Amino acid sequence: MKKGMIKATRPFERVVHWCLALSCFLLCITGMSTMYHSLNFIGAVIGGMANLRMLHHYGGLFFGASLLVAIGIFWKDAGRFSSKEDWPWIKEAGGFLWHVDDIPEVGKYNPGQKMFFWVVALGGAAMLASGLIMWFPLSFSKQLVRTMYVVHSLGFLIIFAFIFVHLYLVTIGAPGSAPAMFTGWVTRGWMKKQHPKWLKEMEENGTLEVYGGKGSNKISSS
Amino acid sequence: MSQELIKLIDLSRCTACRGCQIACKQWNELPASRTKNTGSYQNPPDLQWNTWTLIRFQEHEDQSGNVKWLFRKDGCMHCTDAGCVKVCPTEALYHTEFGNVSLNVDKCIGCKACMYACPFGVPKFNAATNKIYKCDLCYTRLQGNQLPACVLSCPTGALQIGPKDIMLTKAYKRAKALGGDASVYGDKFVDGTHVVYVLPEKADVYDHLPQDPKIPLQIIVWKEFLKPAGLMVAGAVVAGAFLHYITHGPKMPEEEITSEGGDKS
Repeated sequence: MKKGMIKATRPFERVVHWCLALSCFLLCITGMSTMYHSLNFIGAVIGGMANLRMLHHYGGLFFGASLLVAIGIFWKDAGRFSSKEDWPWIKEAGGFLWHVDDIPEVGKYNPGQKMFFWVVALGGAAMLASGLIMWFPLSFSKQLVRTMYVVHSLGFLIIFAFIFVHLYLVTIGAPGSAPAMFTGWVTRGWMKKQHPKWLKEMEENGTLEVYGGKGSNKISSS
Repeated sequence: MSQELIKLIDLSRCTACRGCQIACKQWNELPASRTKNTGSYQNPPDLQWNTWTLIRFQEHEDQSGNVKWLFRKDGCMHCTDAGCVKVCPTEALYHTEFGNVSLNVDKCIGCKACMYACPFGVPKFNAATNKIYKCDLCYTRLQGNQLPACVLSCPTGALQIGPKDIMLTKAYKRAKALGGDASVYGDKFVDGTHVVYVLPEKADVYDHLPQDPKIPLQIIVWKEFLKPAGLMVAGAVVAGAFLHYITHGPKMPEEEITSEGGDKS
């Protein structure tokens, strides 16, 4: 970390994020290995497809628990849309799709991130529910189980596509974002570009934490 | 003998001796299960993981009030467009050179998807082994140029097996000779089954015999549409991200030297 960097996330947020991310990655790999015959070889690495299936099931339980905690901690800032603040940003697509001189300022999370939250929350819950029914199909009606196969594969389609949007944005699409989920410290330049209003709010509330700084009072006074 | 085969079941010749049911158990070394008397000769009441073929006993009253006893040998129909093969994640269920659907039990992981894809309700689960079981038309016997155990055991000629075209010709000839409501069942759906019935009565008279068997819609959506779409959509997103990067460009942070100017705003 360099002096002057800004604290964007709490350690607990990062831990929950990575629990969710790594279990999601594991579920995608093991799920795809059962969906596509050409990936069956992945099962051999852990002693067969039956083991892989079990890994998918218990990984799913871990994912479900992580998801509940994640919804709990991100709901307050990412779960609720505000038409006054979010609509101008949505109309300009946050400056991501065409040139916008002044990108409308939004709070801690922009509407794109809020949409991502909802896709993960609802999609994850749908995957968990359909997955549990597919794990114990004999307890349910045939039509329900068959419909769950559709829900589970449709959920995969959406979540898998979103993963690549996410990966693009946190790497080359919006450089400087990734450290928020590794060290938790981001640059002020990134903060001013991505979350100007959040930066102002933190400065006004005196909650801004600056690396190597003498405290938030000095920052807000400058 | 590596050509498409059809097992022909001529129900007009079946006497419900259940020789086939026993021969199947004997050849495939399937243990018996304890059952209860349910007021019918039909025993066990349904196909089981260890009962791959079953004679169904049905008391049928026709329009003039006469009661007839109908027998039907139930079991795997060996579909050409087989739902079980379509959904099996490990290729444990597969088509052989004879067109029948065989099962490599070692590969089965007990996911049970085939139970929900089969229009005939044939695959059965054994919780003790966590695996699926069903008739494989005695694939190893066919490989050795032998008749399936059930066909070998049949004393009346109700069961025959042979090349597809010859069996179908025989089936239609027999249905015509029987006249009345007799019909051929099996060649008209799921791209043709490799087990074909000659039914002396109308098809809708028989219990547990689907009138229009097909792979359930959800299974088609899952395997024919969403499975390939999952990869295509992800590929399109990756391509879209690349296009975004080279046309619109990334959202770069504002220029600022954080090490020194961190507390400047």
